[in-house]
Amino acid sequence: MEDFIGELKRKIIDTLELADIQPEEIPTDGVLIGNELGLDSIDVLELVMMIEKDYGVKIENREVGVRVFGSVRSLALYVDEQRRRAGR
Amino acid sequence: MRGLRAFVCGAGIVNAAGIGLEKTWEALRNEKPCLKPLSLFTVSHAPALPAGEICEALPSEQTVPRTHSLALLAAREALSLSPSFPEAIVLGGTTGGISTTETLIRSGETRPERYRYHALGSVATYLACELKCRGPVISVSTACSSGTAALKIALEMIRRGQARIVLAGGADALSRLTYYGFHSLQLIDPAGARPFDLHRGGLTVAEGAAFLLLAGAEEPPDGALAELVGSGLTCDAYHPAAPHPEGAGAGAAMRIALSDAGMTAKEIDYINLHGTGTVDNDRAEARAIRDLFADPPPLSSVKGIFGHALGAAGAIEAVVSVLCIARGFVPANVGCTVLDTGLGLRPLPRGKSGKIGAVLSNSFGFGGNNAALIVADPSRPSGNAERARVMQFDLLGTACLTGAGLTDATLEKFRRGGELGGRFDLATLGGDLFGGSLRRLRRLPRITLILARAAQKAAGMADAAGLPGGIFFGTGWGPLTETNDFLKQLFASAEQFTSPTDFIGSVHNAPASQAAIRLKATGPNVTATGGDYSFEQALFSAALLTKEGDDPVLVIGADEHHDILSPRLDPASTAGDGADGGAAFILRPRAASTGLRMVPAFLSYVPENQDAIPPLIEALGGPERICNQFAAVFAGIPASAHPRGESYIAAFLQRTGFTGMVYDYRGTTGEFSGASAVAAALAVDAVSRGVLPTHPSGVGKEPLGGKGILLLGLGEFVTAIGVMR
Repeated sequence: MEDFIGELKRKIIDTLELADIQPEEIPTDGVLIGNELGLDSIDVLELVMMIEKDYGVKIENREVGVRVFGSVRSLALYVDEQRRRAGR
Repeated sequence: MRGLRAFVCGAGIVNAAGIGLEKTWEALRNEKPCLKPLSLFTVSHAPALPAGEICEALPSEQTVPRTHSLALLAAREALSLSPSFPEAIVLGGTTGGISTTETLIRSGETRPERYRYHALGSVATYLACELKCRGPVISVSTACSSGTAALKIALEMIRRGQARIVLAGGADALSRLTYYGFHSLQLIDPAGARPFDLHRGGLTVAEGAAFLLLAGAEEPPDGALAELVGSGLTCDAYHPAAPHPEGAGAGAAMRIALSDAGMTAKEIDYINLHGTGTVDNDRAEARAIRDLFADPPPLSSVKGIFGHALGAAGAIEAVVSVLCIARGFVPANVGCTVLDTGLGLRPLPRGKSGKIGAVLSNSFGFGGNNAALIVADPSRPSGNAERARVMQFDLLGTACLTGAGLTDATLEKFRRGGELGGRFDLATLGGDLFGGSLRRLRRLPRITLILARAAQKAAGMADAAGLPGGIFFGTGWGPLTETNDFLKQLFASAEQFTSPTDFIGSVHNAPASQAAIRLKATGPNVTATGGDYSFEQALFSAALLTKEGDDPVLVIGADEHHDILSPRLDPASTAGDGADGGAAFILRPRAASTGLRMVPAFLSYVPENQDAIPPLIEALGGPERICNQFAAVFAGIPASAHPRGESYIAAFLQRTGFTGMVYDYRGTTGEFSGASAVAAALAVDAVSRGVLPTHPSGVGKEPLGGKGILLLGLGEFVTAIGVMR
């Protein structure tokens, strides 16, 4: 799981063009949106697309999104669980 | 002199209900949604989301894009009872020919002639050509408030004596860009729009066109259906896509509209809500209405019936408002079954007949662009106000950006007679602009923000929040990088994936809304687009929408060069070296300006083979006045407008006897739509220094003798701007 969290952090940096940010600067358990990284609702939707494209997991509404994007760990757990369910 | 009132003497509409006013009327009375799964193009997911699509065959769709075709249908209906041609056209929209462009790009088409109707501005010029209008033509793109903003500009044209018969409205067709774009924002309700419903899940994308034919008169003419009595435009300056949570800008737009109409909230008999059905819009709008109306009148959104036709929506709802007044009926808020009582408003569950004296219609869009319009019974007594003037501008600050660099670098090179073309590497300007927070912004918004900040600094108002008040932005092509990236990803993924960032960034008004957010400019935020005359259209819009005593405004003209799209879309760009950039000005509106100033003097669409020069000379006060006021002419003749432009300048010189210098500036600036804004900045520099710099193309280091410089645009439009001191 820690490897997957690291992978997600690198993808978040690439997807959102966080040019000067290192993966370790992104909190694993702290809030992802509304922290000093300055990410907002559009970034969340950009990540929704990345997760669907790269992992085949859809996050189709705001309620699920708010929960899943609480932290990088919650995102990793959700993606992992959905992929297991789909047998991938 | 008394100002003229703007009476509605004709109306035309096409939308999901069908073609023509009576189809819309039936749909309003039927109280049923006209929404069904999209069938206009095949989509990648099943089932297709609901859309407000027009299912009838469109007459001219074989030769022009769908938006153009819809616009012409509605315009002809609006003009059907009029004996005369419109003297001016103001059109709001967001899509232009994009639906055709999408198909062409997907098929790998590269021939520019196939893209000739891509431009947003081409819808209005197509109408002008078909409807024999030769006069001011302005295209405005303020996202989903475009149609309403266009009506406000038309209202001011009439009030300020610029035209007596104006055709104004909006047009947008369904496209992949908007369908997938709103889908990527998770803003489409799979059940169809349910405005003010507790379970509302977003809007329904739709298409349509609507026009009002406005006639300027002191008293209501026979057959007048309604009167436009007031309008307010504001900007949230808050977020590129989400509304201000408390509806601050929306409330301000409604207040300004009331004050513009000389009315109180109590005089409004019905509010036509923006009511898109998104969670955020309906909440912000409800809040703004509750703040303004102690006891709100009957209100409803018609987007549950027709869907949200984006740039056309404001015009469609203006036509609905006219019908409310002319036929004494207010429509139901269709789509809402479980009212969201938390919003504190009760939209009409059923339509209602009865006399309606005044309607307030709201339209809000991306970029926090808010517009409110008030339509009233034409027989309502009205004290004609003093006629307002078209503004001139004191020049408070200037900035420009060309291939040579930012303002000083460009001006130094210009003074030495150097060329300014090419594209400047924006990264070399330093990353500290606006705290380095330029993430997600591509080339055009960056150019715009650099110019906005530099002009603000030049005016000595850097970091003074709240100044300037309004922003007027002219762009020929909008954000091309974002448009290209969005479509590229869409087609590369077999229409599976699109970027919400690119979608929000692709709208023409995105750069101006970014500037508003960072400058906290909450006044009108208007993006005008008309190819090579976009800066001129923005400046004229500013002159029509401001009055003496208003805060200074920021007027910007800018475009980006894009290696793939520019050669296809802009016929002039293939003649150059891929130049881009633009210029920005901080301007104080004045009824009569005397110092260093910029004076918008003439703007007219000119059909092929028409002599445009006599009205231009007349507008400038005649040959003698032209020769006395101006020492030089800066002529803007796009490469695509040869030899027409040369024949215009020859006619101008012959008819005026003007013997000063004529400088064809596109040889210096390069070929791009923002070139006229750059030329204006060069003219400001020359006039403020009192000399014209050395230049190989014939401009000597010549004292101006206290005279000014006349900027002429010569081609599909003829335009004139004076720079004087």
